[in-house]
Amino acid sequence: MVKYLSEEWRAEVEKRLREQLTPEKMNNLTSSLNNVYANCPDGKSHYFFVGFAEGKVDSVQVGEGDGPKAEFAISGDYDVFAKISRAELGSQRALMGGLLKLKGNMVKALKLASLSDRLNKIIATIETEY
Amino acid sequence: MFDHTSPYYIDFPGRIKAIQAKMAEEKIDLYLGSRLRTLSWTTDAFFPWRSFIVIPADGLPTAFTFVIDAARAADESWLDEDHVLGFAPMGGQDQITQISDLIKEYLPNGGHVGVEAGMSNYLPEGYLTYYEYKAFEAALPDCTLVNAHPIVDRLQMIKDIGTINRFREASRIVDIGHEAVLAAIQNGGWKGMTETEIAGLAGYAMRKAGSTFEWSFTGGNEIAAGYRTGLAGGACTPATTKKIEAGEPLMVDIHALFALACGDHSHNYLIVPASDRQLWHANNFVDMVALTLKTYRAGVSPASLAAEMMDFAESRGFADFMVPGFEHGIGMLGDEWRIGRHDGPFPYWTDPDHEYVENEVLICAMQYACPDENIGFRYENPILIQKDGCEYMSKFPLAIEVIE
Repeated sequence: MVKYLSEEWRAEVEKRLREQLTPEKMNNLTSSLNNVYANCPDGKSHYFFVGFAEGKVDSVQVGEGDGPKAEFAISGDYDVFAKISRAELGSQRALMGGLLKLKGNMVKALKLASLSDRLNKIIATIETEY
Repeated sequence: MFDHTSPYYIDFPGRIKAIQAKMAEEKIDLYLGSRLRTLSWTTDAFFPWRSFIVIPADGLPTAFTFVIDAARAADESWLDEDHVLGFAPMGGQDQITQISDLIKEYLPNGGHVGVEAGMSNYLPEGYLTYYEYKAFEAALPDCTLVNAHPIVDRLQMIKDIGTINRFREASRIVDIGHEAVLAAIQNGGWKGMTETEIAGLAGYAMRKAGSTFEWSFTGGNEIAAGYRTGLAGGACTPATTKKIEAGEPLMVDIHALFALACGDHSHNYLIVPASDRQLWHANNFVDMVALTLKTYRAGVSPASLAAEMMDFAESRGFADFMVPGFEHGIGMLGDEWRIGRHDGPFPYWTDPDHEYVENEVLICAMQYACPDENIGFRYENPILIQKDGCEYMSKFPLAIEVIE
């Protein structure tokens, strides 16, 4: 069991993504996504950044604050992200309900929706303490 | 279309720079366009959904439309997919948030944002709604919204050669539609036909010739038969299922779209047997159209032309049947309303004293209606104003044929 958004969790995410996501599975994508978690249990904001270069996992980062600039940024409350990770809330419903805010080219985001699902499914397999 | 050597080439980056130069003169820091005419004129793409364009003081503009259509619009436009964005009902992705976020990136300390506010008889015009205005105002507390559409209106008025050639091609396509209608109705072909059928066969012929849209919001192709041709002041006749009948007039007003240029030509017929009185009306109208086309040139105005033409109608005894207006505005799709620049005596209506200048394009439009006798005619044709005359773009021969 690793703590959500901790360095251990980040390392496990990176390991599993590198093992399970081939460039072909990621459509040789070059892009980046940054989740910004507001109102975390420590009262601060945290981020989770993942970057791909030609389909390969290029960078996985976590930390305090807003994090690096990414092609797509999703921001919302920690509780909302945690509910999504625990499969208690669908990410689409969270976006459609305005609980999460997406910044980035919506048309490109639509093209990447299935890739994002692949990513989230792998991350969801990590035993995590919220 | 984007090849510089194409006859239909339009310098869209140049248009944006021209807008930006006018913005600088008028101390507008950013232009937020919402009218269909502005979208067409700046992007070269068809935007059928509510859309916006953000034009910064410098650099490329960004268009926004409903997400389901953004990729198609980007594919048609000279702008790339990073400058034609889709909005959707999602956190951060609705139109007010997306556009406001971009404006805040351009104007972090606020500034003057030009918007398009006004009114029009033309439903798809696209002025900012009250709700949108208030929402942008609330989302941009450091910005001041100012009405700036005259910037685009002034620039749109004189047509460049690429636009003129697109209109010529749209008119050529409309002529093909008219040829198809004539071929279908002559020699008794009209029997049993309805107005909608004529609208459809014209549309099919024009589509085969390359038209992308029977663009008019007045029902696509406007066809009127019998009493419907003579409705008082009636210059709008969406086709109905009314059948074409012997002894009645038939008005065929069809529309083709080529690269966002609007073809629009009306032609009239009499179905046998044509009475002497019907032929008298028809001759009046043909003579009137011929004289009007001969009179249009740089320097005349809607009011001076109307006075001259109505004098002619009076001298021939048919002034009672003429609608005393001889034009409507035209431009790339979405620009189909007034003549001039909104500076006439009635805001947002044609300025009667607007003096035409070379390379303006308008629709020479005339309506003749005699409701008591169930007869009327319409003429429409895009014309290019020249120094000593005008070029009428649709070449379908001017006449009112009696169809056997």
